[in-house]
Amino acid sequence: MLIAICVAGYLSLVVASGGAFASGNAVQTFFQFLPVPVLIGLAQMIALSVGQLNLAVGALGGFLACAMGVLMADLGVPAPAAIVIGLALGAAVGALTGALVVFTRINGFIVTLATMTILIGAQYRLVGTRTVSDYSPGLKEFGQASVLNIPLVFLLALGVAALVAMFFRAAAPGRRMLASGSNPLAATLSGVSNDRSVILAHTLSGLVVAITAVVTVAVSPGVNRSIGGDWLLPSFAAPIIGGAVLTGGTAVVLGTVLAAFIVRLVDSARAEFSLQPSWVNFVVGAVVLGTVVLTRARETRRSGGSS
Amino acid sequence: MSTRKPLFGLLGLIVVLVVVFGTLSPAFFDERLVLFPLLRDIAIYTVVGLAQMVVLSIGHMNLAVGRMAAFSAMFMGLSYDRLHLPLYAGLCIGLLAGAAIGAFTGWIIARTGVNSFVVTLAMDFALLGLIPVVYTALTANAAFTVKPDGMRELRQYSLGDVCLGNVCGSPAVPQMMLLAVAPMLALGYLYHGTRPGRELLLTGSNPLAAELSGIPTRRRVVTAHLLSGLLAGLAGFMLAVATGSFRATIGEEFLLPSFLGAILGGTAMAGGVVSVIGTFLGTSLTLVIRRGLELVGIGLEYLNVYLGVILLLALSADRFLQRRGVKS
Repeated sequence: MLIAICVAGYLSLVVASGGAFASGNAVQTFFQFLPVPVLIGLAQMIALSVGQLNLAVGALGGFLACAMGVLMADLGVPAPAAIVIGLALGAAVGALTGALVVFTRINGFIVTLATMTILIGAQYRLVGTRTVSDYSPGLKEFGQASVLNIPLVFLLALGVAALVAMFFRAAAPGRRMLASGSNPLAATLSGVSNDRSVILAHTLSGLVVAITAVVTVAVSPGVNRSIGGDWLLPSFAAPIIGGAVLTGGTAVVLGTVLAAFIVRLVDSARAEFSLQPSWVNFVVGAVVLGTVVLTRARETRRSGGSS
Repeated sequence: MSTRKPLFGLLGLIVVLVVVFGTLSPAFFDERLVLFPLLRDIAIYTVVGLAQMVVLSIGHMNLAVGRMAAFSAMFMGLSYDRLHLPLYAGLCIGLLAGAAIGAFTGWIIARTGVNSFVVTLAMDFALLGLIPVVYTALTANAAFTVKPDGMRELRQYSLGDVCLGNVCGSPAVPQMMLLAVAPMLALGYLYHGTRPGRELLLTGSNPLAAELSGIPTRRRVVTAHLLSGLLAGLAGFMLAVATGSFRATIGEEFLLPSFLGAILGGTAMAGGVVSVIGTFLGTSLTLVIRRGLELVGIGLEYLNVYLGVILLLALSADRFLQRRGVKS
């Protein structure tokens, strides 16, 4: 059903714009800015798969993007090294968050709320009010490069999505994470460590956020403290529209990718008809609400009307 | 009901911090420049914390708490700007709007059974989109700048302006504090002394058992969210009065403090346990830390970092003490 909405939405946008939206240039812009919603949706989905929430998605992404920008522009670190440091840092922050959740037994919601505050402060500390832009031209070229009008960064995002899907389908740790998410007690009884699942989920979530940060640095003309500020809501929107369950136990990679596509469509439509940016939020909110209510209604009907 | 030891711990911690900050920087005790704004902020954010506490009491969350405040403040600004209503009539209209949006949210949750996190998140999205559209359509620079009579007085007057004969109140305590004390008393009475209040807590601690013992749980879900919207609206009003205008950005900073105040004060995220005084103390603690760090000369760039770290430590320590208490 989501695929149908995507195709129909895209075609109607092409028709509405008088065909301009089907041109190579427009297609390229469309896909250029698709990776970020896809990747942050995946990062959130990984946390949701074990029943955790990650409120620090945007803050961590913004912090990492700025950190990499500063490393390259101010300290002269070569781009590959900066990327490796960024990825490692993302995974480390994720692991630390997971460890905090496990060892203090504080709700993950609160822990990531606190790490979010810390990271926003750290991001501001790094760049202040300036915009860091004179970093590696090679990385920026990568951000603009494309094959047959499909940007490389989008292919990268698809690659990450495929890896995540494989991880949950075929890898033992992935299966264990889903087991912990759907029924922690049963998972413990069958010898799965829930603590390890939670830490792993936060680590992977942090890693995917770090990849998002790399893409952001590559695609945008410069990084400043506003990066990541508007990621939180879309990161939840994509997996929830895609069918993820908040209490854990599900991994819906395809759904998340398609839902991110829809969110991006709404954004393009807004630009096409030059409406105010805030309409996007309104529409996305309505879509999220509509999706959950519809899904719920269908479930209720199937289970014989008892809610 | 839990009036447990954490309250004394919190109070002790606040006193210690006030003494430490006061010694490091004597300006901390300046009545007009420090204490008055600090207490005004405490009043505002206590109401914000209470708005979150009422939904936590049934085991739900309200992620739209800030946006509901903005929604409410929008109606207040409208009624001053277009209808030229007096201060308190506009306040009533705004509170009604807040209660209505809260009740609507609660109704969706009760009706569909969808997780409150998702519903309030979607509501947050929707309001985040709606509010700026209204503001840009109706105002020149995205704010209602009309100041109804009495607004300036409410912002500036303290208990020092209230006298009984020769005895005056402290000039450090803003009159706006009364707007926080009133809902605290009302909620304290609701949870301790009335049937609906007990029913809210039962719904929070075990929804199924509550349903089976004949409590109208769906109606209580609507009640809790209605109260949350109402309190968010009140907080929006207080912030607008304190800053001088009704803007779309009101409530942007409410989300984190709303949870911290309530959770630090001993309200359980899982529902069933609330503490009104605790919410007040938890809010005071975070704001004393924030204000103190500012005065001691910690720059704005480090402030959030320290605040986050201190709060994580406070929560971990609290959790650690509780677990030891359970064991012994």
